[in-house]
Amino acid sequence: MTQTLDARERLPDTTASHAVKSPTQSASTAETGTTDKFAVFAITFAIAFAILYTQLERLNWPFFTYHPAVGKVDFWMHPARSGEGPPMYWYGWLALSIPGAAILGWAATLLSLRALLRTTVFACSLFVLWSAIYACWAFMDERTKFDTDLLKSIAWMSGIPAVVAAGALSYFVPIRWAERSWTSWMLITPIVGLIILGYSLKTYFLR
Amino acid sequence: MDAFNDFVGSSTFWRILLFFHFVMAVGLLATITLHTVAAWAPLQQPAGNVPADFVPANFVARVRSVPPMSYVLIVVILYVPAFLLGSWVYVKYRTYVRIPMEQIGHWKTVGVFEFKEHIVSMGLALLPAYWYFWRQPLAPEYATIRKWVTLFLAVTIWYSFLVGHTANDFRGVGA
Repeated sequence: MTQTLDARERLPDTTASHAVKSPTQSASTAETGTTDKFAVFAITFAIAFAILYTQLERLNWPFFTYHPAVGKVDFWMHPARSGEGPPMYWYGWLALSIPGAAILGWAATLLSLRALLRTTVFACSLFVLWSAIYACWAFMDERTKFDTDLLKSIAWMSGIPAVVAAGALSYFVPIRWAERSWTSWMLITPIVGLIILGYSLKTYFLR
Repeated sequence: MDAFNDFVGSSTFWRILLFFHFVMAVGLLATITLHTVAAWAPLQQPAGNVPADFVPANFVARVRSVPPMSYVLIVVILYVPAFLLGSWVYVKYRTYVRIPMEQIGHWKTVGVFEFKEHIVSMGLALLPAYWYFWRQPLAPEYATIRKWVTLFLAVTIWYSFLVGHTANDFRGVGA
């Protein structure tokens, strides 16, 4: 069994040049087959889903709201109504983020290698940077004596440095680095998303 | 479905659904754990000629010697229906379990269960890539990421199982 395992594990090393092509390799040679397109789709889908899901949850933008006690469905976000029990938004976030990520994954298969990598670096670094800058903004807001309503109303401005930095990163980053880090974003974005979503639940643990 | 619901009674119907969800979760938990062990700690090939019928001596070594890709399809096949069944049972949780939890102040349990809905969603989105990375022949450029994706899924499934079990103990099958 051990021999079988090792033989299977070694196979790609000896035959990789013709048996396995990474999506980026195939894209660069313009020989993108169905399998490699699937890899581009799958990786982009995972990245896009993590970003979309986190944003939709934080903004509370569900596609629909389900009221389980009365079996009623409302389009978009509806707060709880008297006598109708608690609303459920999770299905609505999934109903937007799954097709949204699938469309982005499909669109990624149409892009050139360079455009795909630069777009991924831009979107992922924007997600990470904007979240980090917004977290600093919110942290300062909690400790400041200024008018907090004013700070909240201009919170969107925290996106400006993030957009500038993400744009610069995606433009200046070497394409080889972008290629090497491409699959890593697939784990970085859900982890960052889970940190944001986990932090948003802190009220449950501080009561 | 309504006829079946009427036949067995609403409470029994939801308990049956929850039980199936639990059975799938146990299978998924076992499979992803074995897969993670086989992916992160594969048995090294002994030096010299090894007989074709060589079988490792102890249980742990046998687990480590299984080709990791053997588990992938089972994980995918179990994850999706477990997720769908969980999504269905979630309706009952929201009205029948969570409200009493809030009323008696079990806020931490509510919080960790809220996090479960996020972590299982992230795990679901990784399944297509997980399946692709473990396809034969294994691509050497994905050697690192496929191990990490497997570990991420293992964390996702273990967390969901433990938290789901806690919620079940509060108000579910046998509670």
